[in-house]
Amino acid sequence: MSDVTYFHAIQILQDNCTGCTACVRVCPTEAIRVRDRKASIDPNRCIDCGNCVTACQFHAIIPSSDPLDIIHKFKYKVAIISSSFFGQFTEDISYAAAKQAILELGFDEVAEEAMVTGFMIGMIRDYIRANREKRPILSSNCPAVVRMIQVKFPALLPNLFHQEAPMSILTRYLREKISEQQELSDREIGIFLIVPCVAHVTAVHQPEGAYKHLQDGAFSTGMIYGKVREIIKRVQNNPKEIDTYPQGLTWALSGVQAELVDCEDIRALSVNGVENVMDILSRVEDHYLDQYDYVVLRSCTNGCVGGCLNVENPFVAMSRIKKMIKEGESKDINVDDLAELYHEGEFAVVPLAPRPIMELDKDIKNAIKKMKQINEFLTMLPGLNCSACGSPTCYALAEDIVLGKATIDDCVVLLKRHSKEDED
Amino acid sequence: MADYWNIAPGMESALKECFTRDVEADVTLEFSIPEKDFNNAGKGSSEVKNLLKRLGVDSEVLRRIAVASYEAEINVAAHSIGGKMTSLIYDDRIHIKFEDKGPGIADIKQAMVPGFSTADDLVREFGFGAGLGLPNIEKNSDALHISSEAGHPTLVEFLIFFT
Ligand SMILES: Nc1ncnc2c1ncn2[C@@H]1O[C@H](COP(=O)(O)OP(=O)(O)OP(=O)(O)O)[C@@H](O)[C@H]1O
Ligand code: SF4
Ligand code: SF4
Ligand SMILES: [Mg+2]
Repeated sequence: MSDVTYFHAIQILQDNCTGCTACVRVCPTEAIRVRDRKASIDPNRCIDCGNCVTACQFHAIIPSSDPLDIIHKFKYKVAIISSSFFGQFTEDISYAAAKQAILELGFDEVAEEAMVTGFMIGMIRDYIRANREKRPILSSNCPAVVRMIQVKFPALLPNLFHQEAPMSILTRYLREKISEQQELSDREIGIFLIVPCVAHVTAVHQPEGAYKHLQDGAFSTGMIYGKVREIIKRVQNNPKEIDTYPQGLTWALSGVQAELVDCEDIRALSVNGVENVMDILSRVEDHYLDQYDYVVLRSCTNGCVGGCLNVENPFVAMSRIKKMIKEGESKDINVDDLAELYHEGEFAVVPLAPRPIMELDKDIKNAIKKMKQINEFLTMLPGLNCSACGSPTCYALAEDIVLGKATIDDCVVLLKRHSKEDED
Repeated sequence: MADYWNIAPGMESALKECFTRDVEADVTLEFSIPEKDFNNAGKGSSEVKNLLKRLGVDSEVLRRIAVASYEAEINVAAHSIGGKMTSLIYDDRIHIKFEDKGPGIADIKQAMVPGFSTADDLVREFGFGAGLGLPNIEKNSDALHISSEAGHPTLVEFLIFFT
């Protein structure tokens, strides 16, 4: 195993945790265990998908995003908004009003992911055409998906789209532009993301892969939502002239994004929801989906509209965004500078290393030995997969026992059977 | 029963022994394959793949095993009235057996020809029936044995070495 400690933007509040195991059962990488009635997360296995945050009824697993007042440490404050943000409001609230509200939270400038969607689509197509030997190319925008590939499908790492994500590109672009225009040093400019998910908060605090440019903080949509709603009430009577990019909002919807990349010589597939993502990655690994040139993969339902820090239902949010795309008109932005940077290779990212969690042992003989032991324990366990022991399945408990992380006495069903036998 | 073998020349006796020798496998995995259950067909192979990942088997070898076992599993679901898959794992190889309850293959040589298929409409609706499954199994395995006859069960088994 690795010696690196991975940062994750989730925290378990021990006092709130009842040990109910709801989180244990929803974690796609089996990262959570409950021992002594408290949950804990294995940082090597967690991919920041947010499933556990949504599953916990007791507010014991909470996302750690930054407090809003950290923006005041900077002279010039910039927000970059996730495109899913605009699906979070009722239809009487306009795109421009929601955007203006962010500005009035205390920022000097507001940018959006959606500004560069058109540019991204072009870049993705170009990249696919230049890398035909790798099929299919896998989207790298969702940090949870990238992590999933690192931990469970490392053989697919070379297939990732090895260019920066929109928010990372914008960060770099804005920093350069602003420091020139406002004559400010890097340290005086604060760039912050408004994000829909834990995975993005993690990406800000531990940038790697497609997120190589450092931001100064990340705020979750859910956390600022109340305040934003209040401001919106105010600004609705007092609207400012504000540029919007409805066509770019497609970035929040994995399906529409795939349709945009799809063209005569490029076949694209869209997959969302972490279980579906795992299923598809397993098939890509066996070369069963080589007929596709590009796969858009998003860990959340419908794409980033389904992010766990959003407030609206992903289907409703998707429908609203689709309406905005249909009805609105985007301001054109000049992407010549970006295109130049891309051709100079400035957006290229270094390949990521695997974070394998599957191997039982480096040596196959030892791994087999351990697997035999696991199977032996498995035959002793009741096979109910009830999670009452705190491991997600009987198999996982057997594995935990063999790896020294649990004992057979953790199985409550066996314990009950034994105590009954003792009574009889 | 007719037998079909595909073994690299010179390796016949050694590999045939791997098919028949009665050494107990280190790890054994069984999976039943119901007739025409296309929603679940493929699960057996993916379980084997996950297990081999835990053993740290090389990803290219893993892919060959996954492809061969997936094709054979689908064949049992598509062309037979049901059967089972048994994976025998040793420290240097995997031996996977697919045994079904019939109706058997009348002419195995013909079935091996790329493009030959007797898939019915239902099977084709699920996207199978290109006649490439068996050739793919042959291409991806280190040794292949098929034993069948019209009106009898079919046995498809193959070996793949880890290094
Ligand atoms: N287990 C089996 N029982 C009976 N017949 C079989 C079995 N496996 C294969 N066959 C026969 O061999 C033929 C060729 O099999 P093969 O897997 O090569 O192609 P396919 O299954 O028809 O199509 P594809 O695998 O490309 O989807 C089948 O159409 C079928 O007639
Ligand atoms: S965020 Fe996802 S991967 Fe991480 S512990 Fe929670 S459920 Fe598991
Ligand atoms: S799909 Fe979007 S919102 Fe969900 S984890 Fe991935 S990046 Fe975050
Ligand atoms: Mg077939």
